[in-house]
Amino acid sequence: MSRRGILGGVAVLWLASSVYIVPADQQAVETRFGAVVSPRVMPGIHISLPWPIDRVYRLKVQQLQRLVVGGEISDGVLGRTEPRASQFLTGDQNIIHMRVAVQYSVGVPADYLFRTDGVARAVGAAVESALAERISSRTVDAVLTTEKAAIQEEVRASAQKLLNDYRAGVILSTVNLETVTPPPEAADAFRDVASARADSSRIVNQSMGYANDVIPKARGEAQQLLEAGQGYKLKKVNEAQGDAARFTQVAAEYSRAADVNGRRIYLETMEQVLPRIKKLIVDKNGNLDLTIIRKGDNPPPQK
Amino acid sequence: MELRILSLVSERYRRHVPALAGLGLAVFLWLTFYTVRETEFVLVTQFGRPVYTVAEAGLHAKWFFRTATYFDRRLRIYNPRPSEFLSRDKKNLVIESYVAWRIQDPKRFVETVGDPVAAEMRLHDIVWSGLSAALGTVDLESIVSTNRQAVEAARLQDRLSEAADRAALAQYGIQVVDVRIKRLNLPEQNKQSVFARMRAERERIARQYRAEGEEQALRIRADADRQREEILSAAYKEAEKTKGEGDAEATRVYSQAYSRNPRFYKLLRTLESYKKILDDKTTLILSSDSELLKVLMRGENAQ
Repeated sequence: MSRRGILGGVAVLWLASSVYIVPADQQAVETRFGAVVSPRVMPGIHISLPWPIDRVYRLKVQQLQRLVVGGEISDGVLGRTEPRASQFLTGDQNIIHMRVAVQYSVGVPADYLFRTDGVARAVGAAVESALAERISSRTVDAVLTTEKAAIQEEVRASAQKLLNDYRAGVILSTVNLETVTPPPEAADAFRDVASARADSSRIVNQSMGYANDVIPKARGEAQQLLEAGQGYKLKKVNEAQGDAARFTQVAAEYSRAADVNGRRIYLETMEQVLPRIKKLIVDKNGNLDLTIIRKGDNPPPQK
Repeated sequence: MELRILSLVSERYRRHVPALAGLGLAVFLWLTFYTVRETEFVLVTQFGRPVYTVAEAGLHAKWFFRTATYFDRRLRIYNPRPSEFLSRDKKNLVIESYVAWRIQDPKRFVETVGDPVAAEMRLHDIVWSGLSAALGTVDLESIVSTNRQAVEAARLQDRLSEAADRAALAQYGIQVVDVRIKRLNLPEQNKQSVFARMRAERERIARQYRAEGEEQALRIRADADRQREEILSAAYKEAEKTKGEGDAEATRVYSQAYSRNPRFYKLLRTLESYKKILDDKTTLILSSDSELLKVLMRGENAQ
């Protein structure tokens, strides 16, 4: 091959280096003599001036990068079995342990590439600082229970603002409080609070059970009383009406021959009453020895 | 200049002249042109003496006898060692902070510090004295507190950043973008007492939960009992009223019926009473003159 041929080939290759492709999941930044000329090159095929005049930096902009703040993981290789304490101070001066996972992606490629030396360090520092600030204005109970979501959002927003000020060119997508635990030195006391809360709701539930038992029963009893009252009333009225009707009927017949009927009824009653009882019949003028009455049922003794 | 050189060299070397001239030109161009990348500053020096600074990225030219020195202009995150500080109310706090800084004035920077590691040592001093002075003016309560109005941490950090920036720029040509507190903690020797306090606090809260549960449970039971009494007594009231109505109605019915024929009623009722009053334990003394026995004694004419 001739020298000219080789030179020609090199020249062609050199010129070919000016064509570049940005894949679909990436964006690129193009610089000319070190200065940014195209800060955001979208996916596709593009032409630049050949190397070394132009340079192309490709970035996977959508890829989420993960960073853990606080609670360094134990490392068997280094002989560190206990995770390093990641203690934070809460507003009511309690100590708690936390580990936070941050996910971020590239927002402004040119800033991401050229503005910060170590973007991950900047992200970690900003998140940790925002976290410390939020934690130190809340009570330990709020941090442990109700306000996790609020803290996550506040930390994300506030760290994002810091990073924007630094022009780090990143977007924080999530800040996730992975573990929030009381320190082991006081963990059992915290657990006891949780069980106290459970105890409390248990006895409240028991008493509600009592109420749910007693009140319906009382209502039932009340209904029973009311029904009994109604029953009594009906019975009394009906009896009265029955008696009255009977009386009225009989009285009508009676008054037709009052004298005869009166005597008849009298005698009938006597017939019913007298057979059961002891009778002493005395003469109109006769005297009565009352001792026999006292002896009652016994036959009078022979004198 | 080239003509003088050419006259000195002999005829034999004349054919190398174009190549030498080319090489000379290349060296000249190499010394004249230089590129500045986005991440850099260039300080142009003449025999070691700084002449001017180039901050603009791109292709630049200088005199070939001057040299270009490159400085990283990116933002850096520096984490000083955690140190213990004393607040105004004489409480110890361990503070971990970070400093976001970049070279602002390369001339001043190269004259005073030279390299980033030395710069960070200087920054450590500035930040340490700044923090220690700033903390001396505030109480612990105003940094770590659940009362958000009282928290001065943000203002403290802003003041600190500003002061550090002023000092570092004037002395070292360094711009301090931000000084922020990453972690607040208590010294090791204080932690045990904090843990003890936390435990005591938890125990108090657990007791409170249980007592409150008890309170609520008792309240619910008492309320249920009251409701039961209320329901039952109301029902009793209603039932008695109904019974009374029944009695009244019955009485009315009776009196209406009986008052139509009081003589017959008296007779009937009296006879009815006899049936009940006179039982088998009764001894009846009857006069032979009585209405019932008149006939027995005297025969028919007794009528």
